[in-house]
Amino acid sequence: MQPAEERERLTRIQIDRSCRQTVVWYYASAVFWLLVGSALALIASIKLHTPEFLADWQWLTFGRVRPAHLAAMIYGWGSMAGVGTLLWLEARLTRNRLPFPVLLPATAVIWNLTVAFGVVAILAGYSTSIEWIEIPPATAVLFGFCIAVIIAASVRMFRTRESRHTYVSQWYLFGAIFWFPLLYVSAQIFLHTPAAKGAVKAAANWWFAHNVLGLWFTPIGLATVYYLIPKVIGRPVHSYHLSLLGFWTLAIFYNWAGTHHLIGGPLPAWLITVGIVGSVMMFVPVVTVAVNHHMTMVGNFHHLKYSPTLRFVVYGAMCYTAVSLQGSLQSLRTVNEISHFTHYTIAHAHLGVYAFFTMVMFGAMYYVTPRLLNTEWHSAGWIRLHFWTTAVGMAIYWLGLTWAGWEQGRMMNDPRVPFLDIVRYTVPWLWSRSAAGILMTAGHLSFAWLFWNMLRQRGAYLPGPTLLVREPERAGAAAGGEG
Amino acid sequence: MAPFYIALWGLAAVLGATAVGGLVWSIRRGEFDNLREGAASIFDDEEPIGTVTDRFPGE
Amino acid sequence: MNRAWMLALGVLVTIFASMTGLVLLPQTQLRGTAPVKDEERDITLPAGYYGDIEEGRKVYMDLGCIYCHSQQVRPEGFGADIERGWGARRSVARDYIHDEPPLMGTMRTGPDLMNIGARQPSAQWHYLHLYQPRITSPGSIMPPHRFLFELRHSAEGLPEDAVRLPDEFAPKKPAWIVPTDRARRLVAYLLSMDHNYEVPEAR
Repeated sequence: MQPAEERERLTRIQIDRSCRQTVVWYYASAVFWLLVGSALALIASIKLHTPEFLADWQWLTFGRVRPAHLAAMIYGWGSMAGVGTLLWLEARLTRNRLPFPVLLPATAVIWNLTVAFGVVAILAGYSTSIEWIEIPPATAVLFGFCIAVIIAASVRMFRTRESRHTYVSQWYLFGAIFWFPLLYVSAQIFLHTPAAKGAVKAAANWWFAHNVLGLWFTPIGLATVYYLIPKVIGRPVHSYHLSLLGFWTLAIFYNWAGTHHLIGGPLPAWLITVGIVGSVMMFVPVVTVAVNHHMTMVGNFHHLKYSPTLRFVVYGAMCYTAVSLQGSLQSLRTVNEISHFTHYTIAHAHLGVYAFFTMVMFGAMYYVTPRLLNTEWHSAGWIRLHFWTTAVGMAIYWLGLTWAGWEQGRMMNDPRVPFLDIVRYTVPWLWSRSAAGILMTAGHLSFAWLFWNMLRQRGAYLPGPTLLVREPERAGAAAGGEG
Repeated sequence: MAPFYIALWGLAAVLGATAVGGLVWSIRRGEFDNLREGAASIFDDEEPIGTVTDRFPGE
Repeated sequence: MNRAWMLALGVLVTIFASMTGLVLLPQTQLRGTAPVKDEERDITLPAGYYGDIEEGRKVYMDLGCIYCHSQQVRPEGFGADIERGWGARRSVARDYIHDEPPLMGTMRTGPDLMNIGARQPSAQWHYLHLYQPRITSPGSIMPPHRFLFELRHSAEGLPEDAVRLPDEFAPKKPAWIVPTDRARRLVAYLLSMDHNYEVPEAR
């Protein structure tokens, strides 16, 4: 082995090794919250079509279980899988060790306690009753501290990076870690002080909630896709120019989309229109990113058969395009008149947070974890089960609730249809959502089983940093892509 | 009402100008040269362009 | 794009811009909104929340009613809220000046409640509906809120505040179902929900 290869090889081992404790703690926590959130989801889903289910326990009443599910998934599963992935990506991109070997893992502990506190508070009746931010405002201090440490680590790694060039994923990740704390802290201020009053609190609410999707989860998800698709197939991103355009148009337009949640609502017309314009302009970054990812994948789709990471990530990336285009359409008044207030919105929300973000996170965890623990996943069969149950489950979920919601909306706009007839109509579709949820939970249990065995290092031992590399395929077929 | 709309349109104009200004400044500084290097920056001698780096376990 | 500070600046500017546009500017525009005067009854509307009504609003929040019920009547010609009898007029920002936070909701698994006090002015109806929604609304999927009620034994016969349940749901006498304070307050809040008063911006 030549000296240059030796040096670089050590560096990658050291990078991945330095991430081990922090990222594994974040990932393990994320899996825990995934299971908790799935249990809460199933309870909530069953209660909707079978309202007598566990009905005598006040702490499990639908109005508490539903926000508890959301908190566990958003702040527990999603954010912790996201932070773990973010930190590993930054270490890889800057080719630096992850710093703060005591403080960073400590943030995982604090984050867990904060989420647990929030979920219990909601079930105990202390929900703020503000969507996406039902957990008590005191949590802002705890999340703020954790993010401050994460920002410090990110900046430190960035300033001491090996190469002058910053890869596209790095921009998205910086965006995410600066946007999220600003959003969270400002939202708590607007929503719990007179900084915003009355109806304006609703605008603040949806400015926050939509931006959690667009400026926290989406950038982490896209950063992951931009890194993993090229890394897995061995081919650079198709167009770096498009990457730049995609990032900045997202930063500019996504910010303004929030008030599309209030169309027809009691707020000034200009405010609503601005939200619709921002939402429709999202076509630009979304199509840009879709073209970029698709052109990178072209000629390489056969790899989906061989790579678990690629399956999850490509499924996720395609659903990002789908959910964003759907979102732009949903913000048009004629569509919104029907879809607002219905199960259609729920289907859309899960197409985003689950079909896009969660599936991309699964892909990331499949790629990263073996490299941290020098162990292969112990079973390809369980991985396949995980993929198919979640992929198919999500499809059933979306199809069922989209259809139900659209019909629900149309009937609601026909005053001759008695309201209870509309409710009766949706019930079979709510059953289909529970069925989908059971499939998806089965997938999560498979994943948890795989992760558990990974932690106990039951799979094959893998020496060296480039664990899964076969002989390099000759250039020509796989290489290329314009810069 | 009038001062409010002046503030609204003024904000829009300022933001738009900032965005355009930022773009022009970035181009002048050469931020948009050598983009191809960026795309290739995640590859190296150990995992060069052309190598696949993931597969199902045991396959 | 290789400078952290450039990236950070762009990131910060974009979010402060949207915060200004979507929150701060509307706050500036709407902050002077005052209640309207009802000359006949010599009160201002919307009335603020006090006593049992205020406590009831908190019960509404802690039980998560917003996840199935909205509180915003959409304008005529956009949806059919007014035709369904959910309000005499569309909801306006003025209706929410005392609402900290507003409970507009985004789901209508159940009907809009902005004017439920006008639509269902009977406390008994609400107690029945909360105890077992399917008594008043067959086919409803609303969860029963039996935990808001308690069993009371009374040798003297029907307590005044008892919920007049149909026989199939009623406990064996001499026991009756009566609302707890939480239920009382929640119903007081629901009965106060009447936003049909006139406002200049929605004539």
